[in-house]
Amino acid sequence: MDRSPHPDRPPHAAEGISSNSVVALGDPDYPALLTQIHDPPPRLYVKGRLPAEPMIAIVGSRRATPYGQRAAHRLGRDLSEVGVVVVSGLARGIDAAAHRGALEGGSPTVAVMATGLDRIYPPEHGELAQAIAQSGAVITEAEPGTPPLPGRFPVRNRIISGLSLGVIVVEAAQRSGALITARMAAEQGRDVLCVPGSIENPLAIGVHQLIKDGAKLVQTVEDVLDEFAELSRARARAQARVHARTRARTRADSGPQDPELLAVWELLDWVEPRHHDDLAAMMNLDIKEVNRRLTMLELSGYIIGDCGAVTRAS
Amino acid sequence: MLARALSGTVFGLDGVRVEVEADIADGLPGFHIVGLGDRALQEARERVKIAINNSGFEFPGRKVTINLAPAQLPKEGSGFDLAMAAAIVNAAQDRGLPTDAAWLGELALDGAVRPIRGTLPIIAHLDRLGIRRFYVPAGNVAEAKIATTAPVIGVTHFRQLKVHWDEGATLDESPMVEPMQAVPPTQHVDLAEIFGQPHAKRALEVAAAGAHHLLLVGPPGAGKTLLARALPGILPPLSQREAVEVTSIASCVGMLPAGGGLLEVAPFRAPHHTVSAAALVGGGLASPRPGEITRAHRGVLFMDEITEFRRDALESLRQPLEEGRLAVARSRGHAVLPGRFILVAAANPCPCGFAGDPRRICQCTPLDRQRYHARLSGPIRDRIDLQVLVPRQPAGELLRSTPVAESSAAVRERVLRARQRQRERRPQGPLNGALTGPQLRKEPLAAAGQALLEAAAERLQLSGRAIHRVLRVARTIADLDESSGIEQGHIAEALQYRESG
Repeated sequence: MDRSPHPDRPPHAAEGISSNSVVALGDPDYPALLTQIHDPPPRLYVKGRLPAEPMIAIVGSRRATPYGQRAAHRLGRDLSEVGVVVVSGLARGIDAAAHRGALEGGSPTVAVMATGLDRIYPPEHGELAQAIAQSGAVITEAEPGTPPLPGRFPVRNRIISGLSLGVIVVEAAQRSGALITARMAAEQGRDVLCVPGSIENPLAIGVHQLIKDGAKLVQTVEDVLDEFAELSRARARAQARVHARTRARTRADSGPQDPELLAVWELLDWVEPRHHDDLAAMMNLDIKEVNRRLTMLELSGYIIGDCGAVTRAS
Repeated sequence: MLARALSGTVFGLDGVRVEVEADIADGLPGFHIVGLGDRALQEARERVKIAINNSGFEFPGRKVTINLAPAQLPKEGSGFDLAMAAAIVNAAQDRGLPTDAAWLGELALDGAVRPIRGTLPIIAHLDRLGIRRFYVPAGNVAEAKIATTAPVIGVTHFRQLKVHWDEGATLDESPMVEPMQAVPPTQHVDLAEIFGQPHAKRALEVAAAGAHHLLLVGPPGAGKTLLARALPGILPPLSQREAVEVTSIASCVGMLPAGGGLLEVAPFRAPHHTVSAAALVGGGLASPRPGEITRAHRGVLFMDEITEFRRDALESLRQPLEEGRLAVARSRGHAVLPGRFILVAAANPCPCGFAGDPRRICQCTPLDRQRYHARLSGPIRDRIDLQVLVPRQPAGELLRSTPVAESSAAVRERVLRARQRQRERRPQGPLNGALTGPQLRKEPLAAAGQALLEAAAERLQLSGRAIHRVLRVARTIADLDESSGIEQGHIAEALQYRESG
């Protein structure tokens, strides 16, 4: 590829400072993978610093379920912990959960926007965008001042997949933006991976269709790392953590020691929340006792209470 | 010729003595009322004149002047009619009007005496001033007798007084009349009629036992209103003093049925979410009239769809939630109105109502939800100790033959014992729901309970106020459990009624 400096390149672009900069196609800073797609953006507006580490995209529905958000958050965090850069679109739902997880993991993360750098969309993600730009980058090909235009989003999606080795789809309805990204990823020769959902969840239909079409099913971060030779270093780092996590998982899978708490825990599910009333009815137990046990399970980290309904913690 | 008759009115909820003076003088025939009367009082001229003529007396064809003293106090309403008529006929011809008697009542054109608002607080006040004889509308006798032990004479018609004065006929002391309308059928729901929902029912029991405010979160149709209506039925009966307060308020706003006596059941008020702040707080130009907050005093204020209430209406709850009373300032005076109630608020989990429902997908964005929750401001949330999720009942569940649930009477027994324990601990002090931080710190907390609370504060990131809420609820749970100290199990249960994200 062409490594010569671009004549129009602003002088500060190469210095890696975290103010706004412009990276043009042909610049040494221009992401190499992105040049391989058939219509790479001529220039990228960058807030922060584009990381050089390998990237994986996580995309999904804006109206995600709590389960989908947990999955995206966890994968984002786990990938970030082993040094993989998570790319997503700064949207509500799955995107935001993936970014937040990635920030927790400690590696930079990249948000690709469809609007100008000065027009953060959705507006409530202003702080999130700030946090992302601190260590990673918020990028866009749109001119400053570009408002959120519907036509811009599908075009933006080609950059998300173009930057990444592969795209993980978490919850996508039929005919959704996330499916467009998955299709583009396939056209660009990127791998598509999917987090499965419940067969009753309409947001899982699109994802399950992708799995039927040959996308890889993802449960853990290892499933992602195994897929890419480029991620062998990350995989080695992950190996060390796997042991600890397996131990933790075994513990979480086997439930609490206390038989009274175990009896409650066994009725719970990882995905479908259950209400206190249902547990009382199923166990034929006084609600006071159910509530006491739920607190004990919650405080020892076996379950998550959310709005009066509980699920197992994993 | 001059005559005086005593009467009274209410300002806020307090009785005020009003002296009605009638003067008949030579001059152009006419009838004047002075002394800051409102429109209804000016119209009294026609009522009183015609009623006197229709009762066998003759309205004097000279210059008649009525003065209402104290003259600077704004007066409203029709309760002075009887006193004015009595003063006028005695100014025309001295019939020996007793000086220690008071007169209350509105006159109909034919001379009949109609019930008025506020009889109870007016009589209570005049009784304290040493008045020893009360002439009141027959329909107000029952409430008047709550306030005084002096003779209460129920007047049905002004003509009775003509017969009394002219022919020496004795007036029956306090003839009782049948209530014109029965006390409205109780809207209270028995807990046994509500299927399932043990978590929410337990929260109701705790709310009743410790007078805690409660937030029910659930999708439309989950039964939040039904649960709220069950709360008055498990509250302790009103004490004599509380019953007088409640009856006084009902009397002032005209909610006491004619002939009705002491109200002994806790009130239940459910203002619609379009209510204005003035209607909640109380309004009125001359004298502040009690609003919904005061009408719910000693009972339950149910605010369905609390996030849909107007902002200023919600903020008006802050003072009563903090202090149990309400300072109302109007252009012509201030009043402090009572407002100590249990707030039962109900809300959907999110604008579309489906968040947390495993069968439906919530269509709300996180921002929508955030805005929705922000409508309930922090100071009000801080006062709501209990929050529960009320799940939608599947139709099949509702139709299934139901196991008999515990009745309100059984739950009420436990509530009564828990209240008794609180009274023994603090004969004068607040109930558990109003305990402050320093008071909570003095409560005996088991070491294991302390450890659990600390672990919870750490793991669930509880704020200081949230910890106080848990402690207040745990104190009530311990009282329901007839335990003098707060044990670990009480803390554990209390934590499940905390506010969730």
